[in-house]
Amino acid sequence: MTAAEATLPSTSTSPTPRQVWTRTRGVALALVLLLAAAVAIALLRSDTHRGSLDPRSADPQGSRAVAELLAERGVSTRVVTTLDAARAAAAPDATLLVAVPDLLTDRQQTVLRSTIAESGGRTVLVAAGSSSVEQLAPGVTADPATSLESTLVPNCDFPAAQRAGTADTGGLRYTTIHLDADQCYPSERLATLIRVPDASGDGDTVVLGAPDILVNDRLDEQGNASLALQLLGSRPHLVWYLPSLSDASAADQDDDQTLFELLPSGWLWGTLQLFVAAALAALWRARRLGPLVPEKLPVAIRASETVEGRARLYRKANAHDRAAAALRSTTRTRLAPLVGVPVAQAHAPEALLPALSAHLHGDRQSLHTLLFGPPPSDDAALIALADQLDALEREVRRP
Amino acid sequence: MALTGRAALLAALGSLPVGLWEPGWMGILAVNTPLAIACACDFVLAAPVRRLRLTRSGDTSVRLGETADVTLTVSNPSRRPLRADLRDAWPPSSWPSGSEVAASRHHLTVPAGERRRITTRLRPTRRGDRQADRVTIRSYGPLRLFTRQGIHIVPWTVRVLPPFTSRKHLPSKLARLRELDGRTSVLQRGEGTEFDSLREYVPGDDTRSIDWRATARQSTVAVRTWRPERDRHILLVLDTGRTSAGRVGDAPRLDASMDSALLLAALASRAGDRVDLLAYDRRVRALVQGRTAGDVLPSLVNAMANLEPELIETDARGLTATALRTAPRRSLIVLLTTLDAAPVEEGLLPVLPRLTQRHTVLVASVADPHIARMATSRGDAESVYDAAAAAQAQSERHRTAEQLRRHGVTVVDATPDELAPTLADTYLSLKTAGRL
Repeated sequence: MTAAEATLPSTSTSPTPRQVWTRTRGVALALVLLLAAAVAIALLRSDTHRGSLDPRSADPQGSRAVAELLAERGVSTRVVTTLDAARAAAAPDATLLVAVPDLLTDRQQTVLRSTIAESGGRTVLVAAGSSSVEQLAPGVTADPATSLESTLVPNCDFPAAQRAGTADTGGLRYTTIHLDADQCYPSERLATLIRVPDASGDGDTVVLGAPDILVNDRLDEQGNASLALQLLGSRPHLVWYLPSLSDASAADQDDDQTLFELLPSGWLWGTLQLFVAAALAALWRARRLGPLVPEKLPVAIRASETVEGRARLYRKANAHDRAAAALRSTTRTRLAPLVGVPVAQAHAPEALLPALSAHLHGDRQSLHTLLFGPPPSDDAALIALADQLDALEREVRRP
Repeated sequence: MALTGRAALLAALGSLPVGLWEPGWMGILAVNTPLAIACACDFVLAAPVRRLRLTRSGDTSVRLGETADVTLTVSNPSRRPLRADLRDAWPPSSWPSGSEVAASRHHLTVPAGERRRITTRLRPTRRGDRQADRVTIRSYGPLRLFTRQGIHIVPWTVRVLPPFTSRKHLPSKLARLRELDGRTSVLQRGEGTEFDSLREYVPGDDTRSIDWRATARQSTVAVRTWRPERDRHILLVLDTGRTSAGRVGDAPRLDASMDSALLLAALASRAGDRVDLLAYDRRVRALVQGRTAGDVLPSLVNAMANLEPELIETDARGLTATALRTAPRRSLIVLLTTLDAAPVEEGLLPVLPRLTQRHTVLVASVADPHIARMATSRGDAESVYDAAAAAQAQSERHRTAEQLRRHGVTVVDATPDELAPTLADTYLSLKTAGRL
């Protein structure tokens, strides 16, 4: 290493760590700010729940308003999302509201049915479809056709309904075989609200055709608020059951094991490590040894392109006449010097033909037809003409 | 920085202990932590790329079709040995397609404090300047698990000169030149000839060249001999407009024109004439003027190296004006352009008298052998239509050439292979006839 080499200017263009920091700090700062803002917003708004029929949600489709109204009247609302919690909370002095009964699996519905039967409290089923309503409230069936209008009149003896008056219960329509059941808000003779008292005790089951009376958006219309408060406020506690898909009881542990549960765990972890290896391999292959080098490319046009284009045009237009004229003219130009006629007079029959027929001792009329005759009528005639012109030229050139 | 395949392979092998002995996060950690540490060590121990010193040396010009060697000297001033992959990147046309990767990549080991040379061999496929792009170096650590990667820019330009394939015709043309020049005098007298010597009459000599006054002084009949005049001016004009871009065979028309211009320049400079070059489309693309005989060919080749056809219509008026300015004295103006009817009739013909007034003008044009082949094609309708179109094109070319000849211009129209020798022959016959 000599001193001269040590003083060579650096040719490196890779950024130094300081340059990398200078270039990226703006972006990094922006990312940090964005992240901090996201965390702050998430923390501030973590208490708002955005589910429909969720008593914690202030959305138009939420049910926070009815929960607040109940709290003012001394009814405590407790939200549960799992079946086990719902079973534990069910009690004679509690109302159990099942928000979306259709989300429950068959097994969950069976368990919930037994809970309802044992609890002795009130159970409200909101918009239960035909399969779930038959499981959860035996003797009640849902009609496949829903009601056309939403706002209905009570038209029954159920005191709560009579006090509330018209309400937005229109939705699913139910029939029941229980003679002591209250059938309210009928639409086309089928009830949209049915209250079935329990066989023993003072518990009952209310099946509601539509969730409209519970949502924030519609609570202040008709007698919705009155009906909701009377239905849900009859007991001092309200258990609001929102079925969720993450509920462990939804999975059937007994017979339906997934592939991953059947595999020994060694395979799973080994595969995970293989994924790590695949990611490393991707990183290895992704790094190029320098970028591509761009280059200006020259234009590539064939010089004969226009001639080829003209040939295609001739063919497309079936221009026998023009093609024949071009071929004849070229032959005449080539023949004229061979038989001693100036090129300038090559296209005059009276100059070319005598010289040519003298040279060939041939028939002047056929020569005239060949060199100056009418244009051929079709492709075959044109091909024949080209061949005849070639033959003539060969004959003239023959010594 | 970058990973290597070895790191990925080790990670893949690590799935065995994870799966067999310790399935779980502990196993994953136990495999990947040592790997990460080894990678980090490798990164730290790899020779730094940024501190390397790179210099270039080697060829700066090469004829198209030949190879140029460019040497890159890599000095490693650090205290760690450099084990590296190096890519010496050049534009793609620096190598025949398909061989770029093998030609540009090198494996390199430079012990600490030493330097090594590597040679990149270029075989350019097109004319023009090739400028070296980045040099990318990937320096491996001792375990070859992790690398440092960096880029150096070491400028270097290799000029790719026209191939001058018509060189092969030069010896025969020079022999013909010697026949008419100096050693072998001619008997005809013309405008561009000068008196050479007197010699004894031999039967067969033109009686008109007998010098009676000299004959009277001596006992034998003496004849005068003449030789072509030397120090004539020749201006080669390359038309680089759109008509020169069309490809004939595999190369643009311009390349064939250049080749014939070079042969003509080589011949003329040997014959003692002065050769200038002008390349023009709408402005001057290249101008070589006033070079001495020994210097003219290299400067022409150099000027032609970077000429590319431009996709614009040539400005014939500007071309004529520039040519007249460039050739103040009576010269032979060799116009390497096209014989296509439209550009000649609209551009060149109106301004041609200004050139022919003072100068001898020679128009050389590259004919397309493909059109000649088309003109003889027969058999089916398509071929005959091809032949008709080609015949039409050829007769238009002949008509244009005829129009030019009527202005007193000599016209050379030949295929790329033929153009250079034909042009040289035409020059020699002009010289013989004393028309320069």
